[in-house]
Parts: sequence; C-alpha cells; structure tokens
Amino acid sequence: MSLLRLTRRPFFWIIALVIASFVLVPWLGNDVQLRESLLLAALYITLASNLNLMLGYAGYINFGSIVFFGLGGYICVWLVNSYNWPLSASLITAGVCVSALALIFGLGILRLRGAFFALSTIGIVEAVEAFAENFTPWGGSAGVYLSSSIFAPLGGPARALWVLYFIMVGVMGASLYLSYAIKSSKFGLGLLAIGQNEDAAAILGVPTPFYKALVYSASAFLPAIAGGLYFFKSAFIQPSDAFDLSLSTEALVVAMLGGQGTVTGVALGAYLYEELRGYLLTSQTFSNFQLVIAGALLLLIVLFFPGGLMGFIYSRFPRTQKVLE
Amino acid sequence: MKRLYLLAAAAAAVALAATPALAEDTITVGFTASLTGPLNVDSAGQQRGYEFWRDEVNAAGGIKAGGKSYKVKFVTYDDQSVGGRVQQLYTRLINQDKADFLFSPYSSGLTAPATVISEQYGKIMIDSGGAEEKPFETGNKYLFMVITSASHYLSGAVEALKKYNPQAKLALVYSDDPFSKAVLAAAAKQAKDAGLEVVMNESYSPSTTDFGPIVNKIVSSNADAFLGGGHYSDGATLARQMHDQKANMKWISILVAPADDKFGELGPAALGVTVPSQWELQVNYTPQFGPTTAQFAKAFQDKMHAKADYHGASGYTVGVVLQHAIEQAGSIDTEKVAAALNATDIATFFGHVKFATDAGHHGLQVAHQMVLAQWQMVDGKLGRQVIWPEDARSAPAMYPIKQQ
Repeated sequence: MSLLRLTRRPFFWIIALVIASFVLVPWLGNDVQLRESLLLAALYITLASNLNLMLGYAGYINFGSIVFFGLGGYICVWLVNSYNWPLSASLITAGVCVSALALIFGLGILRLRGAFFALSTIGIVEAVEAFAENFTPWGGSAGVYLSSSIFAPLGGPARALWVLYFIMVGVMGASLYLSYAIKSSKFGLGLLAIGQNEDAAAILGVPTPFYKALVYSASAFLPAIAGGLYFFKSAFIQPSDAFDLSLSTEALVVAMLGGQGTVTGVALGAYLYEELRGYLLTSQTFSNFQLVIAGALLLLIVLFFPGGLMGFIYSRFPRTQKVLE
Repeated sequence: MKRLYLLAAAAAAVALAATPALAEDTITVGFTASLTGPLNVDSAGQQRGYEFWRDEVNAAGGIKAGGKSYKVKFVTYDDQSVGGRVQQLYTRLINQDKADFLFSPYSSGLTAPATVISEQYGKIMIDSGGAEEKPFETGNKYLFMVITSASHYLSGAVEALKKYNPQAKLALVYSDDPFSKAVLAAAAKQAKDAGLEVVMNESYSPSTTDFGPIVNKIVSSNADAFLGGGHYSDGATLARQMHDQKANMKWISILVAPADDKFGELGPAALGVTVPSQWELQVNYTPQFGPTTAQFAKAFQDKMHAKADYHGASGYTVGVVLQHAIEQAGSIDTEKVAAALNATDIATFFGHVKFATDAGHHGLQVAHQMVLAQWQMVDGKLGRQVIWPEDARSAPAMYPIKQQ
C-alpha cells in the first residue's frame, strides 16, 4: 500500500488527532506542568512504539533498546557541547549514526534467535556503556554537563522547553506513523511472517536476515533522536542514566501490556503507564505506596488481559479491529 | 506569590499600626527526594536533616523577617532517582505548589537537571547532596552549595601527610565511579604540588570483591601511604585485605567506608584508618548562627531516634543557611535573599559557609573544610577521632599506624 493511500484510512487521521491534542492542549492552556508530564508520556510512546517494531512485528525480544536512546543522547550532547553544533543538526546526526551502527550490529547479532538474541542485546548495552565510561571526550563516568547558555539559540530556557516538547511530540508522531506504515507495507508483512515462523518465511522468499537488520536499524532512528532531546533538556548525561536497563524493561512491559504488534495498544499502554506513575507519585493519598499499587495493577492486567489492552478491546468490540491498527 | 506579597504588605501595614504581636505566615520549600531507586539510602539521610530543621524552626516560632514570622512548610515528591522525573516534579513544585524556595535533590546527577528548571523560574535552590563542581561552572545564578566539593575531599589528608612525612610514597587506588575518580584526580595533583611522590595510580571496577592482586601490587610498589576507596563494601574489603596481607601502610585514607560505624567491626584492620568527612560528631566549631554541635546532636538523637550523621547535618545546614539569608535580607523576596546568600560568610556547627560569587563558579562552597577522622583506640574501644584540621581536632593523629 502506498503511503498516499494510508491517508485515506481513518487510522491515519486518528494519529493526527492525537498529535494535535498533544500540541494544542498544553499550549493553549499554557500549562507547563501538563507539558512536562506529556513529554515523558511522548518519550515512553516513542520508546515502546519503536521497540514494538522488533518485538511485536518480527517477534524478537530486544532487552537493550535503551542503547539507541543513550547513544543518541551522547552523540547529540557531544556535538552541541564540544563542537557548538545547532540542536537540529545534532539530533539528525545522532539518529543517522545510531541507525547506521544498528544496521552493522544487526547484521551480526540477528543471526542469533530467541534467548540468545535477547542476551546479546543486553551485552551490547553493557559494551556501549563501558565504552562511554572510558571515552574521555564523553566525560568518562562523570558524564557531560551542559551550560545553561545552550538554550539561548532556542530563545532562552522558558521558550526552549516548549520547543523541545514540540520536537518530542513530533518524534512521537513520526514513531506512530512509522509503526503504521511498516505494518501496512510488504516489508511489514514479511516481518510478521518472520514473527510467526522464521524458517517458513525464509522458504517463502522473505529475505529474513536483511529484513531483520533493516527493522533493527529502523527501530533505532527515532529513539536516538528522543535520547538527544531528553539529555539536551536535562543539560546533563552520564553512562548510568543513558544506558539504564530498567527503562528498557519498562518499554518492554508497556508494549506487552498495551498489546504487542498493535500500534494503538502500545501507544495507549505507554501513555497510561506514564500518566499512572506520574499520578501515583504526586498523589497525596497514594504517594507513599505508589510502587505497591503500580505492581498490583500490572499483575491484574497480566492475569486478566493476557492479550494486552488491545486484545481485550478487540475481543469486546470486534469492529474496532477494522479501525484501530 | 502575588497573594503572598499582598498579605505581606497588609501584615506590614498592620505591624506599623502599632500591634506588637507578629503576624504569622508560611513559606513553602519544595524538593524531591529519592525514596526509590539507587540513591535511596543517602537521600533519606539528607531528607531527615531537612525535616529536622523544619520542625526545629517551627517550634521556635518560625523564620523572622521584616517584622513577620514565617512558618516553614515542605512539599516533597519521590523522584525515583531519575533525571527526567526531577524536571517534571520541580516544574510542579514551582508552578502548582508555589514553592518560594527549593532544596536540591540528592546527587550532582539529579541536581543538574533540576537546575534547568529552577534557574528558568529564578528560584533559589540550595544543594547539600551533590559534591561535583561542574554544575557550578555552567553559569547558574540561584544555585548554592553548602558542602565541600569533590576536589577538596582529600586535601586535608595530603596536607597531613606532608606534615608527618614529606618523603611519603603514595598509592592511589580507587573505584572507577565519577565521584571517586574526581576526588582522586584532584588528590594526585595536590600530592604533586605538595612534593609527595605518587608510586601507584590505579582504578578498579566498582564491583570488585577480591583485592588480593591489587594489594600485592601496592606492596611491590613500595608505597607507604594509601589513598583511595569508593563505597562501603570495596573500602572495607580493601582495609581488611591490606591488614591481612601485611601491607604495613603507615597511613591509610579511605573514602566513605570508614565514616560508617560498621567499619569498626573490622577490628585491628580498622585501626589507624582515616576518612575525609564533611562533618563528624566530634567537630567543635563555634557557631555564629544556629545550634552548636552538641545541641544539634542531642536534639537530633532525641527527635529522630538516630545518631546524627553528615547527611543529616548537611541537610540541616541547608535550612540554617536559608534561614540566615532570609533573616539578613529581612524579606522572602528571591532577589534579596539571593543577595544575602551571596554575602553569606558565617560559621555554623557544620563549619564555615561562604559561596563563590564569580560567574565561573557561582554558588560553589569556598569556606567549608573537610575534616579527617581516624579510627583510634579510646578507652579500649575503637572509635573515630577528628585529627585534621588541627584547630578542630579531638585527638592527635596516629602516624605511623601502629598495631597494638
């Protein structure tokens, strides 16, 4: 299906509506708190949607998706800090470099399958983290602190935070469209075939090694840009934050809760997960036992909705399958 | 804020109209603490210090400024030890909870992201949990730090060594983490400037559990003084293995681990080991403002049912410094209080407090000094004694380390 034809489908416009509300609601209300909260939600949606390309479509569990995020953050912060590059060029360079690296790595490690592949993805995170800890231009284990003057080209800190938010929403939107476009393409069908039975897919003529490396590389591009934005906004990056495996695990949990393989489910799962965490953390009543509640809810969802959120919605309202991808 | 000003103006008018009683108002102080995540333990200690200060101030009638008396109210959230969350929560603290002043989260890594928000809104943030200097070199105007920065952690140890043995041969062996590396890099330079010879300079992975080969290397380097360590378990293991393998060091300074009372359980291996500390129960500065060490330690013990440690003391000092600045300024207006902080130059029970005011290091602590504590035998029991600087010492230093 050509990209143009996608615009005739209602789901295309649903994504557009989501992006528009992310942009307009905090902006028109000038609500910086909502903005900060939605920024984290947009980040989770970006990470989970791109992870879903590997996990939900091709059926490969990637525990190390955070390496794209961290590496993108490092490249962007490095270019901005040491070479005074503008943010836009740094972000794009980070995305391209990380994507290219992922393609090279992918051609190697994607020969592995199942648990061995999952383990190797953790290995990559550890290796890249060790590299960052010992690479002096990246500040070694102390990391890089950015001067507050980096926000000046974006119109000062107050305006810069809005600009960064809008870019993050753009990255989120691009992630959703990428997920949707891949799912609706021949490439996507090939990936789903690999996810079902890789050997059968190969026999039927799907170029499996190439497709796998390509999707691994594609799933690296937008998280790398998101990492650049996130650490630029924090004005600080260090290896333990950039390559935090728990964020990888959260993205996996979110994708599985929402419904792996679906675009809507993963995004909705990420959004609800982040908003729930944010609510529990700041709630007067729940903040003291927020982890207990979050844990209990996750358990309930896993027990009663094994197909994830979308599995539940599809089974209760079968007609939604035609609209929500 | 606007309402607060109106109230303040109204209150001032009433006060001028000759009512002698102080009008009561509150100031809101916001901060996040790492109740979950890797920074949990240290952050909790700092938070106890903050809360203890709040309770003491409120019990004494609040902070008095401009003829008014302000009770202190805290708003606090769990930042999960995550930088992105810190920014979200400080935005909330400033915009929704209307915090008048901010305290920093725990650690330099969380303070840097929080500063992006606090500086943007022009809010004063006082830091007691991040010892790195870099956040102070990025041009912040409202960030202030009460503790000594990482690069001066071992300055006292180097000075003491220079006094006791100018021919000392140093082995620097430390954990490969940002903080320890920054401390030892500065110590190596200070040792060189002091004319001491560094015969070994090596880092180890933070997860190291067996230091046998490293101790052998220290012995064969002919070093007679040891500076290094990192966290509790590696520091304690290093001390024990140097003792077991008879490394015969004349001087041992280890970061962090010997500051914990548990360290005494090592017995003879702990004897003579020194630790740089922001503050110890034995230090005896004469405060110009706030309680004395004895008063603080006793009240802390009674109220919090725990022995005061340096995290608690530095957290408390953050409050004391803010209180002093507000009282000096006679106002809770940010610009006036910031000016008062810039002019702060006082002795507290925690030590001297004065902030750098040049643009390149604004807010960095320049007066507070680390003390050096040594494990010594006191009445047949192992305990820490302050041995450096000499004007704050509670006992003379043991040099060289003698086994008893």
